[in-house]
Amino acid sequence: MSVSTETAERERTAFAAVELARNPGRPRALQVISEAFTEWTEMRGDRLFGDDRAVVGGPALLGNRWVMVIGQEKGTDAISRAVHNFGMPHPEGYRKAQRLMRTAEKFAMPVVCLVDTPAAHAGVAAEERGQAWAIAETLMTMLQLRVPVVSTVLSEGGSGGALALAVADRVLALENAVYTVAPPETCAAILYRDAGQRARAAAALRPGVDTAYEIGLVDELIPEPTPGAHAHPTVTVAALRGAIVRHLDELCTVDVDTLVQRRAARYRAAGG
Amino acid sequence: MDRNPDQVIRRQDVARPLAAPGPKLRPVAPAGTVECGGCGRRFGEQRFEKHLRVCPHCGRHAAVPATTRAGQLADPGSLGVVRMDVGDRDPLGFNDGVPYPSRIAQARERTHLQETFVIARAAIAAVPVVLACMDFGFLGGSLGSGAGEQFARGCELAVAEGRGLVAVCTSGGARMQEGIVSLAQMARCSAGVVAVSRAGLPHISVLADPCFGGVTASFAVQADVILAEPRARIGFAGGRVIEQATYDRLPDGFQTAEFLLAHGMVDAVVERGVLRDTVASLLTAFRGSR
Repeated sequence: MSVSTETAERERTAFAAVELARNPGRPRALQVISEAFTEWTEMRGDRLFGDDRAVVGGPALLGNRWVMVIGQEKGTDAISRAVHNFGMPHPEGYRKAQRLMRTAEKFAMPVVCLVDTPAAHAGVAAEERGQAWAIAETLMTMLQLRVPVVSTVLSEGGSGGALALAVADRVLALENAVYTVAPPETCAAILYRDAGQRARAAAALRPGVDTAYEIGLVDELIPEPTPGAHAHPTVTVAALRGAIVRHLDELCTVDVDTLVQRRAARYRAAGG
Repeated sequence: MDRNPDQVIRRQDVARPLAAPGPKLRPVAPAGTVECGGCGRRFGEQRFEKHLRVCPHCGRHAAVPATTRAGQLADPGSLGVVRMDVGDRDPLGFNDGVPYPSRIAQARERTHLQETFVIARAAIAAVPVVLACMDFGFLGGSLGSGAGEQFARGCELAVAEGRGLVAVCTSGGARMQEGIVSLAQMARCSAGVVAVSRAGLPHISVLADPCFGGVTASFAVQADVILAEPRARIGFAGGRVIEQATYDRLPDGFQTAEFLLAHGMVDAVVERGVLRDTVASLLTAFRGSR
C-alpha cells in the first residue's frame, strides 16, 4: 500500500469511529435516565434567563440511593433534536446544571452527569449571555462540590462544553464514544482552515475515548455489545448502570474533605 | 450600542477617531519604526514602546509580548521572572505536515520563551503578586499541557508565598495539537484558581486582544475582577465559526471588550496607560479589607 493510500485509510477509519459515536441509535441521556433510574423529577430553568433543553436533570433514585442526575440530551428525532438543540447547551444549560449541583450538595446527594454534546452552542445569543463564563463557573463548581460526582461520556464529548460536566471523582465512557478538544470539523477549520478536512483532523486528534483513558482523564471504559451500543441500547444502559452504582458505592465511603482534595489533585495533575 | 460608554476608564476624556484600515500593499516599515495595525501611521520603536505599544494617533492597543507586559505592570525593579522548565510534550504524536515538536522549537526560538506563559514574582503598588502573562506570539497563546503546568505552578507559588494573582490572558484557545490533553488543561488551570481563591488571595484577570476558547472558558474569567483592554476581541467561539455554523448576522461590535462590558461580563474596559494603576487600586483595596 502506498503512503497516501495508507493515510487515506487511516483517516477513513478515524472518521468512521466519529460517525459510529454519532449513530442516532445510541442511548441518549433521557433514555439512560428512564431505564437506569426511577422516581425522576425534572428540575428546569437556571433562575436567571431561561430553560435550556440541551441539559436535563433532577433528583432520581439509582437503586436505593437518591442522586442528582444531570445530562446533555441530543434528542432522538427531528423535533426533539430541535427542542434539545442537538445537545449543544447555551449558558442557561450550564447555569441550570450549577443550580442542580448546589441543590445536590445541600441534600448530600451524589451527582451523576451524562455527557453527550458535540460542543457548547456557538452562536450570538450564547456569546451575549457569557458562554465562556458559564462553562468556567461550572468547572469551578464541580471542582469544589462536596458530594461524590460520577460523569459518563455517552457518545460524544466535545470541547469545554463537555468538560464542564465531566470534572468528576470518576469519569466513565462508553467504549465507542469520542472525547475531543473540539469536534473534528472545528479542529479542521482551525488547523487547516477547511472544515471539509474533518477526516484528516479526526486521524490526527485520536478522538476515541481510549486516548482519554490512556492519559487518565477517563477512569473506566464501559464495554458495548457488538457492533455497538446503537444495536443494543438497553443492554448498554444496564452495563453502565452497574458501573455507576459500583463507583458510587466506593465513593460514598470516602470522607468528603478527602474526596474534594483528591478531585483537585487529580485535575492539578491532568495531562502530565 | 454606545461605542464609547462612560464607564470606559481612559486617560483623557476625548473621543478618538475609529481605527481606519491601513492601505494595503504598503512597503514594509523601515527598521527602527513600527506601523500601527489600525491607522497605518508609523512611529519610532522607542516612542511606540514608551506609549506601551498603544498607537499615539488612533489609540489602537497592539499586542504586547509577555515579558514586556510583565515589565509594564510591575513596580520598577520588582520583577523577577520565575524560570520554569516544563519539558517537551507531544501527547498525541501530532503531525499536520510539520511535527508538533518542531512547531514548539520554532516558537521557542522566535519568542525566547519556554511556553505560552511568563510567570514572574512582582510587586504592584507594593502588593506582592504572581504575574502570569500569556504571549500570543507563542503558537497563538494556545493552552497546551506545558502552559497549563506553568499556570498551575504560578498559582501554587501565589499560595505558598501569599501573593495575589494577576493574569494577563490572550489566546486563541486550546492547543489543538495536544487534543484531549489540552482540553484537560482547562480543569487543571481551574484547580489552580480554586487554590488561590481558597487561600483568600486576590485574583485579577486582564483580557487582551484576542482571547477565545478554552482560555476564556476557564481561568481568564474565574477571577475576582475581570478587566479588558479597549477593542479587545473576547469570546468562546470565534465570530467566523458562529457565522458559518448559524448564519447569524453578527451585531456591531460583537465580542469586543465594550460589548462584554455592556452585557455585564467584565468589570471595566481599561486603557493600557492606566492599567497598572487600576490593578494597583484593586489590589490595595482587597488587601486593605483583610
